[in-house]
Amino acid sequence: MVKDTVGQLLTEIIKTPSDYSRVSREIEKDDLLDKINISYLASYTSEILNPFIIVELAKKGYKGSLYYAPFNQFEQEIHNQDSGLYLSAPSVVLVHSRIEDTHPDLIKRFAKYSDSELTNLSDEIIQRHKLMLEDLRRKSDAKIIVINFGNSQMIEEYFNSSPVIQSQQIYFQKLNNSLLDLCNKIISCYVIDYQKIFTGLGLDNCSDSKLFYMARIPFNSNAQISFGKIISRTIAATLNPTAKCIVLDLDNTLWGGVIGEEGISGIKLSDEYPGNVFKDFQRAILGLRDQGVLLAIASKNNLDDVLEVFEKHTDCLLNKSDFSSIQIHWEDKALSIKRISEQLNIGLDSIVFFDDNPVERDWVRKQLPNVKVIEVPKNEMDYLKALNESMYFDKLTITSEDKTRAIIYQQEQQRKNDLNNSVSVDDFLKELKITVKIGVSNEVTLTRIEQLINKTNQFNLTTKRYSSADIIKLIHDGGKVHWLSASDRYGDNGIVGVMILVKIEPRVWLIDSMLLSCRVIGRKIETVFLAEIMEILKSEGADFIYGRYLPTKKNVIVSDLYSKHSFELSDKENNMWKFNLNKNHIVKPNYIKVSINND
Amino acid sequence: MINELKLKEVISNILGVSINEINDDSSPDNIEQWDSFSHLNLVMAIEAEFDIKLTPEDAMDMLSVKLIRIILEDVQEK
Repeated sequence: MVKDTVGQLLTEIIKTPSDYSRVSREIEKDDLLDKINISYLASYTSEILNPFIIVELAKKGYKGSLYYAPFNQFEQEIHNQDSGLYLSAPSVVLVHSRIEDTHPDLIKRFAKYSDSELTNLSDEIIQRHKLMLEDLRRKSDAKIIVINFGNSQMIEEYFNSSPVIQSQQIYFQKLNNSLLDLCNKIISCYVIDYQKIFTGLGLDNCSDSKLFYMARIPFNSNAQISFGKIISRTIAATLNPTAKCIVLDLDNTLWGGVIGEEGISGIKLSDEYPGNVFKDFQRAILGLRDQGVLLAIASKNNLDDVLEVFEKHTDCLLNKSDFSSIQIHWEDKALSIKRISEQLNIGLDSIVFFDDNPVERDWVRKQLPNVKVIEVPKNEMDYLKALNESMYFDKLTITSEDKTRAIIYQQEQQRKNDLNNSVSVDDFLKELKITVKIGVSNEVTLTRIEQLINKTNQFNLTTKRYSSADIIKLIHDGGKVHWLSASDRYGDNGIVGVMILVKIEPRVWLIDSMLLSCRVIGRKIETVFLAEIMEILKSEGADFIYGRYLPTKKNVIVSDLYSKHSFELSDKENNMWKFNLNKNHIVKPNYIKVSINND
Repeated sequence: MINELKLKEVISNILGVSINEINDDSSPDNIEQWDSFSHLNLVMAIEAEFDIKLTPEDAMDMLSVKLIRIILEDVQEK
């Protein structure tokens, strides 16, 4: 991931604060890593975390440059437009206001409060966070990461009796729930569970009274290292697109042994050791699928042997239908992965390859350097850990489209099979009974719109990327953001298209962005989308629409979109096209039903 | 006896000065990077490298390499 000397350095064992300091100093000299500005706002001395965050971020390919707001001044920093926080131009802002620091009596003297006082306090705490986070959202387009209040068990038990401790824990739980609700309503705002930092270390092992009383540092060096890891991982997850598909080997990956050699009764897959290790791994793979990750197989095997396992082995949790693409034959695995990427319409860089065989991994790495190859450990008990630590599937929010994505792709396979058998494309599309709905961006649809804008590469005319905050600003400045959702007889695809229009002159608009998910390419949905938007603009009195095609490596598919839809080339050099609303109109396919969403 | 080289390495790593520049008299007065903040880093690092636990008083008294060594030897003897 990381090249050169720093890469070399990062492969060494970095364990102690001394190691972290030394390596972080080397990282500061590096200029190959992606630079990223981060601001840290905390109710304690957070600067102590610097070397740990720097090193852990570098392991993920980033060179962090951190700004630490003066201790306990984070609220002022947020509310003041000219503060160091905004001057540091952060892409990510971390916010951590500990109850221990802001309301110490809630920790040590919990029993003194009446129920109504407790309610008032929690309302006040959440309200303060609301004001801070909303103002931060208004003033900056950075990703916001909030660290929650953790669990009162993390705090030493003072003199409280156990009923008090119990109600205190419930109180903290409620506070955390309210905080999560709040953050979920704020765009690009994510929550880290404070408690998570201490798991694995043991709560007794995380603080150093000396550091706290001398310098208001609430955790010891072990916890600081753990904190650095979790923060960096979360930062990377906010910045990286999530992988879409995992390509799995079968023998010694999804079960123990070789099916072709040992047969269905010989492979290890059961509720006993070692079969239970593989069964549990299968369960975790299904967990990925539940979150919308596509599953695929690249295996050198006889298809019939494998199908027998899927159909007849009672301990095989995965079924043939769980896989969106299956490549089982004796040909090269790089070829298999290429076919999978074509079949699923996804880029090689969004594919993760998991194979116990180091030769296969090496081959794939060499042939397809964009594919993310996981270094699978020798012991199958460590498979999950390796998958987890790869972070490729870390995701901070899951939209409802994600959850059904795997199912949608499966339906797509069915459609493609149908397409191969049907007489003509038009007949096939007619049979699909496509319905589209067009609407205007709002709070509900914004997350999905942002997601589409940032991950669509193929059917995308300008490949401009916008954050939710950008989109809101664009609308605020008079632009239009339309979405399109599509369904057909196989199911609902959800929102699959976005068009952004900006007014360049009175009665003249420019299509700033137009994109469609690869799931619905080739169904003339784009024609309907363009036609409908043209009608809307015309009804509002527009005369001309401009559209631009910015070619990339991936968007050849739309190079002739404008010429196919009666646009005239107006500026060849800039690939600018013009549509005369008073002269031309776009003919829509009559078999696609359209409705306009007025919500 | 404490490991002299290890101590110098820790100081060098934390403060970002080369080992050759560190001697018994090195202190916050003659090493610019040795401020109150990096002093805390130094205390944490020494605790981790030498597997010991220092009191706040130890931490505050460690104001030169010589003093660090004396305190370390003292703590290790206990």
